[in-house]
Amino acid sequence: MKIPRGFPIQFAATVLLMGVGSLAAPCLAQDANTGNAISFAKTKQVLGLEGLKHNATGTLAAENGSLVFTKGKKRVAVPAASITEVMTGKDTERTIGGTVGTLTMFAPYGGGRFLSLFRTKIDTLAIEYVDTSGGIHGAIFTLREGNALGAKKALLSQGARTSVSAEVEAEAQAKPKEKQQ
Amino acid sequence: MKCAQYWSSLLPLALVFFFTGSVASAQDATKPKIHASSIQILMAQSDEVKLPIEFQLALYENLIEQIQKTNKFQHVYRDGDTAASSDPDLVILHSNVYGFKKGSEGKRQVTTVAGATQIKVHCLFTDKAGKSEFAQDVTGNVRLLGGNLRATFDFAKKVAQIIVTNFQ
Repeated sequence: MKIPRGFPIQFAATVLLMGVGSLAAPCLAQDANTGNAISFAKTKQVLGLEGLKHNATGTLAAENGSLVFTKGKKRVAVPAASITEVMTGKDTERTIGGTVGTLTMFAPYGGGRFLSLFRTKIDTLAIEYVDTSGGIHGAIFTLREGNALGAKKALLSQGARTSVSAEVEAEAQAKPKEKQQ
Repeated sequence: MKCAQYWSSLLPLALVFFFTGSVASAQDATKPKIHASSIQILMAQSDEVKLPIEFQLALYENLIEQIQKTNKFQHVYRDGDTAASSDPDLVILHSNVYGFKKGSEGKRQVTTVAGATQIKVHCLFTDKAGKSEFAQDVTGNVRLLGGNLRATFDFAKKVAQIIVTNFQ
């Protein structure tokens, strides 16, 4: 059987594109423009949602007019209409975090400090919402890099409000990069 | 001999410290404690400095959580809660951020001396009419372990301690 010329290159390119495609949007379940559910896996709820512990990792979703955070069997929903502010930001965290990360501080020869140099970029999402009695609540989430603006757009499409549009925030976050270049 | 001279020179200083300490504790003891069955926590204001919203929200949420843990109040109302206005025995906590320095967790962990995050807040307790009951400046820090938002937790713990000390 004769293999056509250029087939190995085409095959390799196809495999590469498939791999890159799966990496590009690992957590987007559905498109924001359709108005359907969008979920962001491995989202950390830093604080603010009632009934959940601080730094709980779960899935953040914008569905049926609500923000829904699910961790195992626990599910907390906040009506999007009650969200009065959605803001995004950027931050970094230790690649090796948690208890293991803390224990590495005691590693000999400054090993812990060396490991602290390895950091992962993350996005932050802060929301302010109002409960049924008018009380203001705040919640903070951290997401994988590049997902916060998508989450903000998804929440806005479900009925949340903000003082700064997603486009303006995207421009503001892109400006420092341009300056560095 | 030299040692005796050294200790004798330190003695007056020790006496001064002893008496000033006792005077201060006596003042604390005579200070009447504030009585209130409920407290309303208002969202932190930051007119003088630009405070990122995540810090503002973390300040507010940590304050509510830590004040609830003190068990000094029957109700801890949030900002905007309509039920607070009908509470007869209410004290309101106003927080105004006047200093903020965002550090770096990475710098803290690598150098252990640089990259501290600091939040300076003026806390004012008033009654419903706005009459000042008590005011104090509180600083929240994170110097080594934890993310930048931990400064808000440190601040909230200190405010909770102030409430334990000054409220019945």
